[in-house]
Amino acid sequence: MQLEPVKFTPNDLAKYPFLKETAEYMGKIGLDIEELTSPELGSILSRAEERVNHAILYVSTGQRRENPVEIPSFPVAIILALATKNSFIKKRYALAEAKQAHSDFQFESSEKLLALARNFDWDIELNRDSSIPLEFVLGFADYLRNVTHLRDEKWKLINRFLVDGKVYLNQHDVARLLQEEVQRRIDKRLDTKELPPFPQKVVEIAEQLNVLAKDKIGEAEMGGFPKVVSQSAFPPCIVALYEEASKGRHLSHVGRFTLTSFLVTIGMPPEKVAEVFKTFSDYNARLTLYQVEHIAGEKGSGTAYTPPSCSTLQTHGVCVNNDELCRWIRHPLAYYKRKQKTMPTPPQAPEKT
Amino acid sequence: MSSREFVYEKFRGFYNNPSLAVPTPVGFAQREFAFLLFRERVMARHKGFANPKTLSAFLKERIPSDVYYSCAYYENPEADMDKKGWSGADLVFDIDADHIPTSCNKIHDEWRCTNSECQFSGGFNGKGITPETCPICGGVKFEVKSWPCDVCIDTTRAEARKLVDMLENDFGFASHEIRTFFSGHRGFHVHVEHEAIRSLDAMGRREVVDYVMGTGLAMFRKSRKDLPKQKKGAKVFSLNDYGWNRRLKNGMRKFILNATKDDLKEIGIKGRTEVILQNKDRILKECVEENRWSNVKGVGVETWLKVAEHVRDLESAQIDTVVTTDIHRLIRAEGTLHGKTGLLKVEFPVSQLDEVDVFKEAVAFKEGSAKVLVSDAPEFRLGGETFGPFKNKAVELPTAAAVLLICKGRAELVT
Ligand SMILES: [Zn+2]
Ligand SMILES: [Zn+2]
Repeated sequence: MQLEPVKFTPNDLAKYPFLKETAEYMGKIGLDIEELTSPELGSILSRAEERVNHAILYVSTGQRRENPVEIPSFPVAIILALATKNSFIKKRYALAEAKQAHSDFQFESSEKLLALARNFDWDIELNRDSSIPLEFVLGFADYLRNVTHLRDEKWKLINRFLVDGKVYLNQHDVARLLQEEVQRRIDKRLDTKELPPFPQKVVEIAEQLNVLAKDKIGEAEMGGFPKVVSQSAFPPCIVALYEEASKGRHLSHVGRFTLTSFLVTIGMPPEKVAEVFKTFSDYNARLTLYQVEHIAGEKGSGTAYTPPSCSTLQTHGVCVNNDELCRWIRHPLAYYKRKQKTMPTPPQAPEKT
Repeated sequence: MSSREFVYEKFRGFYNNPSLAVPTPVGFAQREFAFLLFRERVMARHKGFANPKTLSAFLKERIPSDVYYSCAYYENPEADMDKKGWSGADLVFDIDADHIPTSCNKIHDEWRCTNSECQFSGGFNGKGITPETCPICGGVKFEVKSWPCDVCIDTTRAEARKLVDMLENDFGFASHEIRTFFSGHRGFHVHVEHEAIRSLDAMGRREVVDYVMGTGLAMFRKSRKDLPKQKKGAKVFSLNDYGWNRRLKNGMRKFILNATKDDLKEIGIKGRTEVILQNKDRILKECVEENRWSNVKGVGVETWLKVAEHVRDLESAQIDTVVTTDIHRLIRAEGTLHGKTGLLKVEFPVSQLDEVDVFKEAVAFKEGSAKVLVSDAPEFRLGGETFGPFKNKAVELPTAAAVLLICKGRAELVT
């Protein structure tokens, strides 16, 4: 059974301006970056600015306009986001467009959703096996590419119907995965290293957007860790590794890396961390300190490493002795933060008088 | 001639044989090759070859003890790691007896503490899986003597069988898209080179690993077991016919059918064992087939979860998790010699997995013989013949057997 190919209308392109057909449409109207600042095209530029502006403030893309403005405003908004050279804005903009698309995906027919997914070259079909009450079947590789950032256990491949290379999905699932695909694609477009010179007007708008973003960045950034290292807030996996290391037992490579990066990230000085490994009989103070500092980002690469997530630790058999709190977190650092918050502040040692 | 020189000469002869078939993986020119050099005993990495001819010339001249190529495809295989330009990688699985407890490692695997300060004279030693630390001095470095035997091979073969079954039925690869190899030592390698998986990142590959190992099944989530009593109904435990559910269902059927009192006790089921053993037929029909798991009075969801968890362990395949998730991994090249055995890494069709005699297919040195003094070796099979056991004995052996014993540190050449 061959499906009638769905033809995307200008209304579709306005809703989903990231489709391949948009490039065709843009080619026909022949928009030039230099002309953007002309009064006739002013409405396109202002709609583009609004897209990015709303993304920064509300993670949304603002009110839609008539198609001849709406459709070209998307590629122009990409240019604006690029011109900010601001990774926060770029990320936020990609997320906003993806979320907007997601809310529209949910109201599409199965056939339209299928056509949208195929526009991204997904290996996807409608399910014809009536014994499985799910509408879509998607090749597992396309599935895996798009669940990377989805943390709920329902997205784990093992918890899906995987038959003959295909993952069975309902409409909501496909809409959610398409959101990821849209975000990834826009992220990629915004990752361009070689930028053209931008017209003065574009540079000015970009500067305004950067000012706007400044306040938001402060809010979004995660607070650091308190100065005091509280061992009683360690997650069970770290407790186990810490005890093994203190007893001089040999840790697996993953275990050693996890413990070291965890301790360093929560603010233990590298010399102190190296001491944890002291009891190893193959302990070599200088070498161990070097390795710890490497993970801390002080020597060598310069990049600081953070410990792997809970699911990675599970894969490599490092996740042990799960407790109640583990259910709610996905990362050993999140456990530590959470636990620390719920703990009473340690009493100050009485001052000697 | 020293034993080492003897082995070197054999390896040299092998790589200089005019009929040598060098490995020709797909994307040949985009692979990084690496070699452990026999003489220099160093790893030569970041080599790239335009065609099999240049690789062949390299092998003839440098005589490696081990040959590897990257599972990855690179734009510049010879560049430094961060400048190679990763463009994809095969999906690779390694199943090795070193990581899987077998019933035979107590018999043929030995270890000795190499800490010079070990209070036990000559270094504390024992049999079986090497401990993490020396019980006497706490040292962590050991000299390990392992042995590739038929039990090791059959244990890893069973794991490979389960893996291949998942790759075919769940992941949908045709059997000709799955390449199976004997590693040349104590296990199997399984490669998938399909276009669809090449661009998978480490995260995606981790999902594949979790699937194969049975990690992260929602039904075993802790919070599920913590559900208050009244909420635990038949619906809490239920199995369908797809993906891992199907594997659990088939596994439960098999387990219950064959279960003895001891089997049930071993997985922590007490008290209810009689009810289960006396109602096997009902359980198989009403629970397994009809999914009415609350039908057997006195056997609740906790018990079924226990059985299912055990079945999960039986049905999952034990692979080396680090190998599959590493998108830059170097893997042994097929058709080359394993430095620890002098055996070949050999490919065989997936359909042969259950019966392939690896100790026959992997023999590289088919001519001549040598006299060796064997310190200690269990009975073993090679090239269709059986040898040993030997203990401090001088014997004339076919070349392949002599090389194997020397490489495994169990014999010296008699000159
Ligand atoms: Zn010792
Ligand atoms: Zn064995």
